Amino acid sequence: MRLTPSSPDALGVPKGFVLTSWEAGRRAVFSADENAPGGRPFPDTIEIQMARSLRDQSADLELGKADIVELGPNELRRQVAGRKVWTSSPVRLMALVFGPRITDVRVREALSLAVNRTAIQSVLLQKQGEISGALLPQWITGYAFLFDPATDMATASNLVAGSPAGQRSFSLAADDPADQPIANRIQLNGRDAGLTISVAPPTGNSDVHLVEIRIPFADPPHALASIAAALGLPEPGPTRNPEEAYAAERALLEGFRVIPLFHLPDVYGGGPRVHGGPVMTPLGEWRFDALWVEDRP
Amino acid sequence: MTFRTRLLLIFAIAVAAAVGMVELVVSGQAREAFETMEAHRVNAIVTQFDKEFQRRGDEIVRTVERIAASDMARDIAISPESSDWVDRAGAQASTNRLDLLELVAGDGSIVSSAQWPAKFGYKEEWLTSQPDWDSKGAFLRSEELPDGVTLALMAVRAVIVGDRKLYVAGGRILDKEFVASLVAPKGMRVLLYRNLAPAFTPAELIDAAGPIASAILLRPLIEQVESQRKEAIRAIGRGASAETFHALPLPGMDTNILGVLLIGSARIDLVTLEASTLRTAVLVAVTGILMAILLSWWATARITRPVQRLAESAGRVAAGNWGTTVEVSSTDEIGQLARAFNRMTHELVDQRDRLVQAERVAAWRELARRLAHELKNPLFPLQITVENMQRARDSYPEQFDEVFREGTSTLLAELSNLKQIIGRFSDFAKMPAPEMQSVNLNELVTATMRLFEAQLSKAGISAAAQLDPSLHAVQADSEQMTRVLRNLILNAVDAMPQGGSLTVRTQALGSGARLEVSDTGQGLTPEECERLFTPYYTTKTHGTGLGLAIVQSVISDHKGRIAVESEKGKGTTFRIDLV
Repeated sequence: MRLTPSSPDALGVPKGFVLTSWEAGRRAVFSADENAPGGRPFPDTIEIQMARSLRDQSADLELGKADIVELGPNELRRQVAGRKVWTSSPVRLMALVFGPRITDVRVREALSLAVNRTAIQSVLLQKQGEISGALLPQWITGYAFLFDPATDMATASNLVAGSPAGQRSFSLAADDPADQPIANRIQLNGRDAGLTISVAPPTGNSDVHLVEIRIPFADPPHALASIAAALGLPEPGPTRNPEEAYAAERALLEGFRVIPLFHLPDVYGGGPRVHGGPVMTPLGEWRFDALWVEDRP
Repeated sequence: MTFRTRLLLIFAIAVAAAVGMVELVVSGQAREAFETMEAHRVNAIVTQFDKEFQRRGDEIVRTVERIAASDMARDIAISPESSDWVDRAGAQASTNRLDLLELVAGDGSIVSSAQWPAKFGYKEEWLTSQPDWDSKGAFLRSEELPDGVTLALMAVRAVIVGDRKLYVAGGRILDKEFVASLVAPKGMRVLLYRNLAPAFTPAELIDAAGPIASAILLRPLIEQVESQRKEAIRAIGRGASAETFHALPLPGMDTNILGVLLIGSARIDLVTLEASTLRTAVLVAVTGILMAILLSWWATARITRPVQRLAESAGRVAAGNWGTTVEVSSTDEIGQLARAFNRMTHELVDQRDRLVQAERVAAWRELARRLAHELKNPLFPLQITVENMQRARDSYPEQFDEVFREGTSTLLAELSNLKQIIGRFSDFAKMPAPEMQSVNLNELVTATMRLFEAQLSKAGISAAAQLDPSLHAVQADSEQMTRVLRNLILNAVDAMPQGGSLTVRTQALGSGARLEVSDTGQGLTPEECERLFTPYYTTKTHGTGLGLAIVQSVISDHKGRIAVESEKGKGTTFRIDLV
């Protein structure tokens, strides 16, 4: 996996397994729980390698070093015989988050209107996930379509023309190196609107960050609160119905401090030895207990 | 400046001018030869550039054709989903060693871009505007990259499958590596200006190492090429660091000037050659001038020595030594001149001798006439008196004593007169040398005029003294100067028998003095003025004619000058200047 969870809880323990070894940021080993409710899982042991790039994971799958890996968009373009692919519901939010330096709301709105989400989703994301202008995905709230993500370059250009010159230039960093092509495309879209965007390395202090946030809950209030906390937005108030949830989400997006772009699924691929499945729930939680793996020849 | 110096100068200038002309001719020929050689080298570089440009263009065309002919290009062309191919251009460019590669759909939208991967979906309308790419070779194009604009050599080919079309546009960037591939001979360098911005951009002027430091110096030349759209040549810098740049325009497909190729040729070789020629010329000139001085010294000595002797002899003649002659040692013009000079001095001496002899005879005649005249006047009374005394003794003895007494008295008076005449002649003959002392001329004039007051009054002459109070004392013989003034006053009295005005003036002349005696008498004719100071010459019925001669003699002894101005009927002024 790409992520480097700080603790076993952050990683999440697969159902039917117990943690037997933990090397922070590198490796975790789970063993089958003989007393698991519903019966012992098929696999005896699961070893999770952390901090592996998508390219390395792809190579690991090709070389048989790994049986199940995360698949990036590039891998989805390839047709590999015997490969199994499992896709979750859109459980990750990809968004642009502005830092405090960009104070002019016109600049932030201009970038929101300039990004050609369709082209990115079609080409760079290989049609994965959903284009969105909302924080929460459509499948959770049912009202995400009300947040219009359309591109309007003319309005964006006008907004930029009316903004202070010092605000038109800023830096953009993709927190995940795998998202660098998306950052580059956003840079190009911004340039068309009159913005000067420099793409910075992920570790730099950038004015805008391209982030991916996992949505850990399927109910809107919890999911919204979780995302607001992750993005540093004010905590939304309690909501009792979809209208209040919509209003709370709309309030969070006022001022364009956060620009939602896409809701992305988790995508995993399995090698030819892997049978059974699926490997995860619609929310992206691992489900390795129903898998079984052939012995190596 | 002497004749010899002038000759020396003429020789030196002639040598220096000759050497200078030779230096000019040699320098001019050297420059011409250098520029011819430089033109050949520039042509070689331009030819090399054209070949390299052509070679690279052909290479790019072949590469693009190979990609266009590949299955991948065909698959992309017929694929309904262009997003599947978004990363193909980068891999193909890397495989085919292209800096730039874009796969563009038939509608002009980018399917995949190696140089700008994020640009998929953008339109490249310049590709669709050209109907037939397959017949086109490589061309220059200003290509936009994420980090700016660059100049590239590109080629385009179209893949047509059924009604689907795919453009393959590939190329290589013209950068310092390209410039480094152009091998320039020693002393030359190749620069490339990439005309990618509206205004001159120094960073776009590169050589094999990258942007050059002194780009701004070449700005006028580059702008000239851009505006005139043709080759231009200009020298940049001064002295040994100067370079001659040939600038050639590099047009793009639409004839815009996208680049300027500059071929710099260091002028240090020419400057060194010119300096060496100049040094040699100066050395030759200095040596030549020294040689010319030595030779001309010897030659001019031969030429000028007779002339110099002639000049010295002429000087001696001018000084009064009329008998001077020149040694004649040649038969040329100088010898003829010397012989003529000798003849002239010989004639002069003869004429002077004859003139002196004639003047001496005339003087003796004048002296005899004057003596006869002066002596005849007293002798006649003497003769009458003696005859009266003889007649009285014979005829009137009783009256003889009275006659004798009167006669002897007359005889004594006339004898005294004769003695006085002889004394004046004697005085003129024995004019003493002046005894110089400090004399105040104003006091001298006042005292002298006081002596003549009674005589002037009696003669009806009004006398006036106009004395310059600033007059300094002068060195003179007081007694002789008194005699001079007395003679001039007596002359003035004689010139005004009917009375008139006598004016005596003094005037300071620097450290000297001027003394003027003016009368309002009958005046003199110019002829009389000329002969006025000749001894024994007089315009009066009495007198010896020695007065003004004595005046001139005294003034001459005082190293002074005397002059006379007179106008008939108006008066005469004698002017004496003492230094």
